[in-house]
This record gives sequence, C-alpha cells and structure tokens, in this order.
Amino acid sequence: MTTKYGGYMGKVLMIDLLKKEAIEYPFSDEERALYIGGKTMAAKIIKDNLKGHEKAFSDDNLLVITTGPLTGSGAPSSSRFNISTLSPQTGYLTSSNCGGNFGYYLKKAGLDALILKGHLEKPSWIEINNDQILFHEADDLWGMKTGEVQKALDEKLRLKNGRVRKNGKIVIGPAGENQVLYSCIVSNDRVSGRGGTGAVMGYMNVKAVVASGNKEVKVLEKDKMTKLCQKWFKYLRKHPLTGSQLPKLGTAGLVSAMQMKSILATKNYKYGQFEDFEDVNGETLAKKYNIVNKGCLTCPIKCARTVSVEGVITKGPELETLVLLGSGILNNDLKAILKWNYELDELGMDTISCANTISYAMEANEKGLWDNGLEFKKIDNLSKVFEDIAYKRGIGAELALGSKRLSEKYGGKEFAIHAKGMELAAYEPRKAVGLGLGYAVSNRGGCHLNGGYLVILEGLGLAINPTTYHGKADLTMLFQDLMEMISSSGQCLFTSYAFFPSPLMNHPNSWYTRLANKVLPYCGFAVRLINKYPRIAHLHLPVFHHTKAFEYVTGMKMKFGDYVRAGERGYNLEREVNRRFEVNANKDALPKRLIECLQDASDKDSKVPLEKLKKVYYHARGWDQNGLPKAKLLKKLKIED
Amino acid sequence: MIEVKIYGVVSLKTNVESLKTNVKNVDELLGIIPGLSRKEAKDLVLLVNGKAVKKNYEFKDGDKVALLSPAGGG
Repeated sequence: MTTKYGGYMGKVLMIDLLKKEAIEYPFSDEERALYIGGKTMAAKIIKDNLKGHEKAFSDDNLLVITTGPLTGSGAPSSSRFNISTLSPQTGYLTSSNCGGNFGYYLKKAGLDALILKGHLEKPSWIEINNDQILFHEADDLWGMKTGEVQKALDEKLRLKNGRVRKNGKIVIGPAGENQVLYSCIVSNDRVSGRGGTGAVMGYMNVKAVVASGNKEVKVLEKDKMTKLCQKWFKYLRKHPLTGSQLPKLGTAGLVSAMQMKSILATKNYKYGQFEDFEDVNGETLAKKYNIVNKGCLTCPIKCARTVSVEGVITKGPELETLVLLGSGILNNDLKAILKWNYELDELGMDTISCANTISYAMEANEKGLWDNGLEFKKIDNLSKVFEDIAYKRGIGAELALGSKRLSEKYGGKEFAIHAKGMELAAYEPRKAVGLGLGYAVSNRGGCHLNGGYLVILEGLGLAINPTTYHGKADLTMLFQDLMEMISSSGQCLFTSYAFFPSPLMNHPNSWYTRLANKVLPYCGFAVRLINKYPRIAHLHLPVFHHTKAFEYVTGMKMKFGDYVRAGERGYNLEREVNRRFEVNANKDALPKRLIECLQDASDKDSKVPLEKLKKVYYHARGWDQNGLPKAKLLKKLKIED
Repeated sequence: MIEVKIYGVVSLKTNVESLKTNVKNVDELLGIIPGLSRKEAKDLVLLVNGKAVKKNYEFKDGDKVALLSPAGGG
C-alpha cells in the first residue's frame, strides 16, 4: 500500500508468529490522516483487533511497534518510536515512547509499523532487512542481558568487509524472558519502560527484533522543512528548559525543585521531602559523576547523563530512578543508584515500578504485614533482590508481581502507590493535585506524562496554586492531548517544554510571570473553546513549531487547533480500547494515602481532591459520569460512525 | 546569621553551593551572590524556610534561604 503523504513509508507489516508468516496490514491514507502514527495508530490497530476478552499473555494479544511521520524526518528529537500492547500489569492498553534507534531503522526498512501476534515455538530473534523477514533461533542469546545481547547481535550482522550492518534493535533481558510484569524493552541504551511491554515480548519468545534497510523518509516540502529545522534547533538550544536545564542537569535537575515544593516522593510517598536530598540530586550527579551529556538521534536537547559504573561507561539515572531509589527508600547513596540503574537496564526492568514495588514491600515489612527482609535505608542487599526479581527466585518471584497484586495478598492497599496497577512516577501529588488527577485518569495507569504532566505549571516551570482544583481538569486535558499528538507524530515529549515562552521561565519574579500564575487556573474556558471549535486556533503558534513541521513533512493541514483535535482523538481512542476491558470511573483511582491523608497536617488542602477533579475532568472531556466518552463525542472525533 | 543554599543550573555557574552571611534583607542578599550580577540574582526563585517571601522581607537569625533557578520538566 502506498501513500500520498510524506513522512510515511506507506507500509504496516503484521507477523503471525505461530505461522511465521508476514502479511501487509491494511492502513489507508484516511486512517493516517485521523490516527497519525505512534501511540494513536497503535491504539487504532489494537481497537480493530482486540474485543475485550483477551489477556496480555495470550496469542490474541498484539505487540504493536509504531513510528510517527516525523520519525527520521530530520525534525529535532524525532528518533522516537512507540510500543503498545495489552499490559500484563494493568490489563489495559499500554503505550511506551522510546528514544532508541529502532524507529529510525524500521523506517529505513520501509515500515511505518510492525505488529507481532501469537508466539514462536522456540526462543528466536527476527531480522527485518528491507523486504526480507528472517526468523533465527536464539538459543545462544536467550538468557543474555540487554547490553550483551545487543553486542552479540551486532556480531551476527558483521559484513564480509568487517563492518557491522547499520541497524536498530529492540531486545529484552532476563526479566522479559521470565515475564516479570514490569519488564521493559531496550533499544541501544534507551528504554520502552512502562507497562510491561518486555513481558509480552518474552511471552512471544522473541528475544530481539533487528531492522535495517536503505529506504528514505520523504519530506514533501524539503526546503521549507530545512529552514524551519534550523530555526527550531536554535530555539530549543536557547530555551531555558531545553537549552539549559535539561542539557546541564538532565531530568535529575528537578530533584531540588521538587524538594522545595514538597513533591519529592519520600519513604513510599509518605512525605514530600527528604532531608538528604542534596546527596542524590541532579547537581551532585552533574558535579561528581556525569562524564558527558548525550542525546538520541537528531536531538539538540541531549538530556541523558553518561557515568562510569565499575569501569563500564553507561547511561546515568533519570529523575524517576534517582528519586524512587533515593528518597523513595530513604537512600542517600548516589553511587549505589548509578549501579542499580545499570543493573536494572541490563536485566530489562522498569525502574519506576520496580523501585515502587520495593518501597511498598519495605513499608509492608515495617508495618508487620509481610516479613520479607526489606527495610528502608537498608540497601546492601538490593542488587541481589533485583536479580531475584528478574529470575523470579525466592522473594523476587513475589516482587515480580508489582505493588497492586502484593497489597491484595498482604494488605496495605492504602500505601500501594499505583493507578490501575501501574506504579506512580516520582512526583508526590498531594502538593501538585493536577498531576494527581492525571495519574488517576491516565490511560496507561500511574504515569506522569500520559497524565498530562501538570506539575510543570504547579511549581516546577511555573508556579500556579498547586493545591487548588480550579482549572486543573481543563489544563490536564489540554496537556494530555498535546503530548498525545507529539508522541504520535514521532517526537520526544521534551520538545513540548519549549511551548512555555522563555521570558516566563527566565523571569519567575516578573509581573507577567506572576500574572500568568494567577490567571492560568481560570483559563479552563479557553481550553474548552479550542476543543469545541478548533477553527478558532487555526494558526501556527510561534512557540510551537510542531504544526508547521508536520505540514511540511506530510502535506496534511495541521494548524494548532487541528493538532489538539488529533491529540484529543488519540486520547479518547485509547479510552475506548480500555472501555472494552471494563475501565470506568471507579478504576480512575489513587491509593488512600494520597486522597485521604494530609501530607502536611497544617495545610488542609494537601491531599488530592480526586472525586471533585474527576467530575470536572469528565465534563470537560465530554465523558459521562462513569468516565466513558459519550456517543456524540466519538462521532465528532470520527472514532465511531 | 542566615544560611543560603543555591540549587539548579545556577549552582553550576556560581560554583558555590552554600554561604553564611549577615545580610539584613532580600535586596542586600541579591547583591552578594558570587558569580552573579544583581540582575541575574533577581531572576532566581527565593524561598525562606521553604516558603516564598515578599521582596522587602527582613531576615531573622537562623533563617534558611534557598535560591534556585526555575526548573522545568522531566
């Protein structure tokens, strides 16, 4: 199938693993215009194939790996690809946006997306080289950790001239092979971390997929795109967040600000501050351990850290890992976190869910609910615990289930910090209640990004009232829709941070920034207007280059209002998939600790007023009281006829 | 005497993580941050004992002051 649009390769491939057959999956230009790519395209494919009775570990489930039209287009931070599947953790749709190089090479092989279905009889790896699909047995690779297996695969792709054929890979480690519920998929040193995608790949007996080829991404208006990219790269490099904070301190640079705002998850989210935070913050990481900052393909932001762990030069920890294996378990040993970060990536496990499961277990032990040997501040045994989880040995076999299932067995549901079965990110939401709402309603479970990341307004970038409910629901919806679309188009979500005009970030004490902080919570009506009448935002915003780039690459019309509408379509489509798996308002929940217990006894607002926020959010979205999109909305968004 | 701690990207520029000083108010403090002009210092978020204060705040003995550059996202 070909396409009239630029940016797309015009082909989606479905591999039936039981039959070892590859067929072209029909995906029309009409569908491209509606469902764009990335997580939205994947949701459409999953909606058309899964009916609601399927289980994550079954031959009915699909592992859908998608790119966006901007992947490989030369746009900044556009090496991204997405992996969606029915999550073994939540039982709902999960999607995970990854910065490794697989998406770029999948397009070089001529594919916009790859769908895996069923399972292989024996552990194998799949080679896609242009139009050739080969299945190789992986007896020699099974059991290898993620770094080792990527090196071994490169050896298999070594050409007669001694060079390794240029390729992109996705691989799983021992955790994925053993179907640990929160195991991840790794590409280079970047991770598709959340929701247990690695476990599904493990069920399928697929150790790795390798893509290579010589096809090119066609950009329809190349000259205009080149000029725009020059301007855009410059803009991102000059912006205080994408040009300074992220390159200099990485995501870890938020730890100190989170401490100041009392949103640093501490002792399994009991507190929002950690007295030893200076030992484990981004400044200490940058000064003592960072060797150089590093970026994904075509990324000017370069947010990744590079550190040395026992002689191995490797990726440093992101904020989430730093916090949840730091303050989350009352650990102030940064060097230990660098080592664990490396070990968890090598084993192929999501650091967020793993760390939160361990902090739940520590608290359960402290409260006498479960004698498991894990204690806050006691870190000498954790490397062994991680290995035990990955190989499901001893106590590790239980920890591999995650905090939700463990709390159902041992008790302590009120401090099992998850939403829909997926553990929360590192921001304690009682002093950033908009993010609390986001965690609860997020389609993939306790995720800060799919939740709308309102914390950037609630104290990190801007400083609107963090505990008011005013405007939070509408702004959450807007940010969710924008990020949905950025992800679907094949870009990194961090490009969205430059959406905030530099003066607001550079001058937090100026009259205009203070005014913005006061006014923003009362701008909900404007968000709803754009949602209802996208034509009123029929323009390109000077701080948001994404829309022009999308037009130049694809040839589709995409003004700001259209962009938000496409994101809204994606978000609702995912909700529709989840409806089949019985999502409803009761499932949009947070543990009691966050909604009933005050973080600060002297501040009556320091808890998440979840029910109040959900009511406004559902109304703003056009969902019914049970949290489900109304028929009229689905028709408007062209999700249903 | 007050204790001042500096966090965020700005701490890489000042190369000073903390200092103790006897300045009387916020205005005086903003003029003595190593490596920063007063104009640059004015663009930092300032918290005293964890809370935002007005520009004319007079320090009390033992106050703990945090100065940080605006953060962003992660």
